[in-house]
Amino acid sequence: MLTKKICMLGAFAVGKTSLVKQYVYSIFSDDYLTTVGVKISKKNIAVNGVDMNLVLWDMEGRDAYTDVNISYLRGAMGFFVVADGTRRDTLDAALQLRAAALDVTGPIPHCLLINKADLAPEWQVTREDVDRMRNDEGLTTFATCAKTGQSVEESFRTLAEAML
Amino acid sequence: MTPSPDPAEPRAPAPEHTGDTSPAEDTRADKEIERLRTLLFHRELLLLEQLRARLDSPDARAGDVGSVLAEALVLSSREDDRLKMAMEPLVDRIVKESLRDNPHEFSESLFPLMGPSIRKSIAESFHAMLESFSKSMETAFSWKGIRWRLESLRTGKPFSEVVLLHTLVYRVDAVYFIHSATGISLASVMNEGTQSGDSDMVSAMLTAIQDFVNDCLADGKKEDLDLLRQGEYTLLVERRPAAYLACVLRGAPPADYRAHMRACLEYLVMEYAGQLANFKGDTGPFAASRPRLEKLLGSRFVDEDKPLPVWIKLLVAALIAACPGAAGYVFYRHRENAARAAEDAERRRSFRADMLAAVDLLRREPGLLVIHAAEQPAGDTPSSTASAASPGNSGQNRDTPQEGATGEAASPAAPTAAASLSDHTGQGPAAPPEQASAKASLDAGTPWKVVCLKDRLARTPEEVLREHGKDASLFSFTLIPYVSYEPDMVSKRVDLSIQPPENVSMRFDDGIIYLSGTAPMHWTLEARRKALTLPGVKDVDIRGLSDPRSARLAAMIQEVQGASVEFPLGKDVPVPEDMPKLTHLVDTLAAVQRLAAEMGMAVSLTIYGHADAVGSVARNYDISQARAKVIAAMLYARGSGMPLALYGLGADYARKSEGPDQSSRRIELRVHLSPSVVPELDFINH
Ligand SMILES: Nc1nc2c(ncn2[C@@H]2O[C@H](COP(=O)(O)OP(=O)(O)O)[C@@H](O)[C@H]2O)c(=O)[nH]1
Ligand SMILES: [Mg+2]
Repeated sequence: MLTKKICMLGAFAVGKTSLVKQYVYSIFSDDYLTTVGVKISKKNIAVNGVDMNLVLWDMEGRDAYTDVNISYLRGAMGFFVVADGTRRDTLDAALQLRAAALDVTGPIPHCLLINKADLAPEWQVTREDVDRMRNDEGLTTFATCAKTGQSVEESFRTLAEAML
Repeated sequence: MTPSPDPAEPRAPAPEHTGDTSPAEDTRADKEIERLRTLLFHRELLLLEQLRARLDSPDARAGDVGSVLAEALVLSSREDDRLKMAMEPLVDRIVKESLRDNPHEFSESLFPLMGPSIRKSIAESFHAMLESFSKSMETAFSWKGIRWRLESLRTGKPFSEVVLLHTLVYRVDAVYFIHSATGISLASVMNEGTQSGDSDMVSAMLTAIQDFVNDCLADGKKEDLDLLRQGEYTLLVERRPAAYLACVLRGAPPADYRAHMRACLEYLVMEYAGQLANFKGDTGPFAASRPRLEKLLGSRFVDEDKPLPVWIKLLVAALIAACPGAAGYVFYRHRENAARAAEDAERRRSFRADMLAAVDLLRREPGLLVIHAAEQPAGDTPSSTASAASPGNSGQNRDTPQEGATGEAASPAAPTAAASLSDHTGQGPAAPPEQASAKASLDAGTPWKVVCLKDRLARTPEEVLREHGKDASLFSFTLIPYVSYEPDMVSKRVDLSIQPPENVSMRFDDGIIYLSGTAPMHWTLEARRKALTLPGVKDVDIRGLSDPRSARLAAMIQEVQGASVEFPLGKDVPVPEDMPKLTHLVDTLAAVQRLAAEMGMAVSLTIYGHADAVGSVARNYDISQARAKVIAAMLYARGSGMPLALYGLGADYARKSEGPDQSSRRIELRVHLSPSVVPELDFINH
C-alpha cells in the first residue's frame, strides 16, 4: 500500500477545510482542537491502477497570512496551496506560502487551487492572473468550488498522479 | 383597538382642567401634573433611576455584560466567523503559554482527542473479545459473577464490559509502527487480528500532537511525549529518530513492557534502516514487521473465582428469576458493594502503576539490579513486611564496617549509609506519621517484594525512593551483594580507592581509567597499582598526569647533560676557567639525586671522557679515561654514592679529525633514572 502525506496550505477562510470535507467523506474528528493547528483526514484512491492512501493534513490558518508551520510540513509528499478567488490578496499569500513550503520540503508535487468558483462574478482574481500562474509560475492551477465540488476530485487526482 | 375604551388611558380626565388660568391654580395644576406624572410614570422613573445607577457603577456594568456574553457569543458565531477570527490568536497565545509552563499536563489533555478514534478503531476487536468473555462468565456462575451482573444492571454497562473492567490486569489493544517524519503508519496490529482502517489517521494525529508539543517548547528543551494517559487508556511511545512505536493499552503493563517495546523498535529500525531512510510512502515492505509487532500485543486477566456449589447457584438463580422483590433486595445489597468494588479496582490500578514507577526508578539506579519485583504472595501480611525488610537493612549493616576496614571510611558513601541506618533505628520506636500514611496507601494493595542485587557502593533502594518522594515502606527489599560493572559504579569504586588529590581529574571510558592533572609520582604509581586491582578496570592511562617536580628534574638533567668541561692538552685537570663550571655541575648532580630520591627514583651517571686527535690511540684512550675518573673522584669526594660508569672514548668522538683542539678534550655526562621504590616507571618514557 502506498501512503502519501499531503498538506493543505493557504490563508484563512479560503476554503481549505471545506475542500477536504468535500473530497473526503470521513473527516477524522470534526471538532479536533484547532489549537494543535491541524486536522487530519484520509482518502483512499486508485490512481493508474495503484491503490493509494492520501493522509491530508489541513493546517489551520494562523495569525499571519504566510506563516508556515514547518514541523507539519516535514515529510509531506505533496501539497495544495489554496487561494480565495474573491480575495486577491490570498493569491499573493498562496505564492509566498508555496515558496516557503518548498524551502522546507524540497521540490515535491503541488497544485494551486483558486476556490469559490461559484462566486465567479465577485472574483478579484482575473483570467490573466490564472494564466500567469500557469505559464509564468508553471503552476498546475484549478478553479475549484468546495460548495459544488467542481474540480475538487480532479485536482486531488492530479496531485496523486504526480506523486506516484 | 381604540384609545377610549381602554380603562388605563391616562388622558381621559385632562380636558376638564384646561380652562383654569389663575396662578394659584397654576401651581396647583403643576403639582397636580407632578402628582400625575409620578402616578403615571412612577415605574418608568424608577427604571430610569436604576439605569443611571447602573451606568455609573462599573461593577454593575460588568455584571450586565457577563449575563449576556455567552448568548452574544453564540449569536455572533452563528452569524459569521469574525468573532472566532478575533479571538483565535488570543486563545492560541494563552494556550501556548500555558503549554510552555506545564507541557505534560497539556499533552495529557490532548490525548482525549485521540481517545475516541483509537476507541473506534479498536471497538470491533474489543467487542469480539467481550462476547467470548461474557460466555465464559456465564458458565462460571460465581459470587463475583452475580455481583458484576448487578453492577451491569445498575450502571447500564454491558455485563461483559463490567467483567472486563474488574478482571483486566492489562491489555494491549493496538501497536502502531510509525514513520517519524511523515507520521505515516508503516504497520499496525490490533488485538484479535482486527485490522483497523484508521491507523493512518491515528498515527498522523499522534505525530501532529508531538510536533505541536515540541514546537511550543522552548528551544533545547525538547521533551518527547512517551506516555499519555486518559481514563483507562494509556499510550506508550518509544522512539528513534527514524521511526517510533506507539502502544495503546489498558491497565498496568508488566514492568518490562517498555523494554520489550524498545527492543522491538531497535530491531525494526535496524532491519528497515534503508527503507526508513528512503521512505516514499510505500508501506509494503513493512508488512513483514507485523509478527514482531504482534508480540507486543497481549493481555492478562486476574484469575476467576472458583465456581459456587450447585445448590447456591440454583437458589440464587431461583430467587432472581422468581421473585422481583428478592432480586431487588439482592440488587440493593450489592449496589454498595459493586460501587466499592469499582473504586477498589481503580485504586488498585493506580497503586500498581505507582509501584511500577517506583521499581522503574530502582532499575535506573546504577549499581542496583532489580531481579524480581512483584506483589507479595497472598500469605504475606503487612506485618511480615518488616521482618522481610530487615535482611536488606542488615545487608547494608554488613557493608559499613567493611568500608571502614578497607581504609575507605572517608568515602562519601560511608556517611550516607550510616545516616540511613540511624534513620531506621531512630524511626523504629517513634511510630512516625510516615507509617500511618503507608498504612493508608496499603489499603489499595499489598506491599511489594523486591529482590535486588546491590553493589556495595550503590545507594540503597530506600535512599533512591526517598529522593524521589516515594514511600519505601510499601516495599520489602531483599538485597544481594554483587559487584557492578556499570561505568558509574566502576568509576565510583576507583574514586574511593585511589582518592585523587585536588588537581587530578579522572575519566572512565570503556574499561580504561584516564588520569590527568598533576600529582606526585609516587601517588601516580600507587594509584595505578590500586586501580588495576579493581573489578571493571582494564587499564589505567596516566599519560595525562605529570609530577610538578618532574619538570624541575628534567631541567637539571638537561643542564648536566649539556655541560661540557674542557681540558688542557695531555692533562686530566680541567682548564682553570672551567673549574667553577665543574663545581656547579657536581652540585647540580647532587640536587638531581636528592630530587629524584624524593620522587622515588635512583640516579646513575655515565661519564664519557674524550681526547683530541693529537697523540697515539692508546695514549688518547688513557687520557680520556683519566679525565672521566677525575669527575668520578670529585663526586666521591662529595659523598654522593651515585652509581657511576666511566668510559674513555679516546679520540673516537673528537670534534676535529686532526691537530690539537681544546673543545675535543672534554667530558660528557649522561644521567639515568631508575625506579627505586616501585618497579613501574614506564611513564618516564612518555
Ligand atoms: N461560496 C463558497 N464559499 C466557500 C467555498 N469554500 C469555502 N467556503 C466558505 O468559506 C468559509 C471558510 O471556509 P473554510 O473551509 O473554513 O476555510 P479554511 O480556513 O481555509 O479552512 C466558510 O464559511 C465556507 O463555507 C466555496 O467554494 N464557495
Ligand atoms: Mg480550516
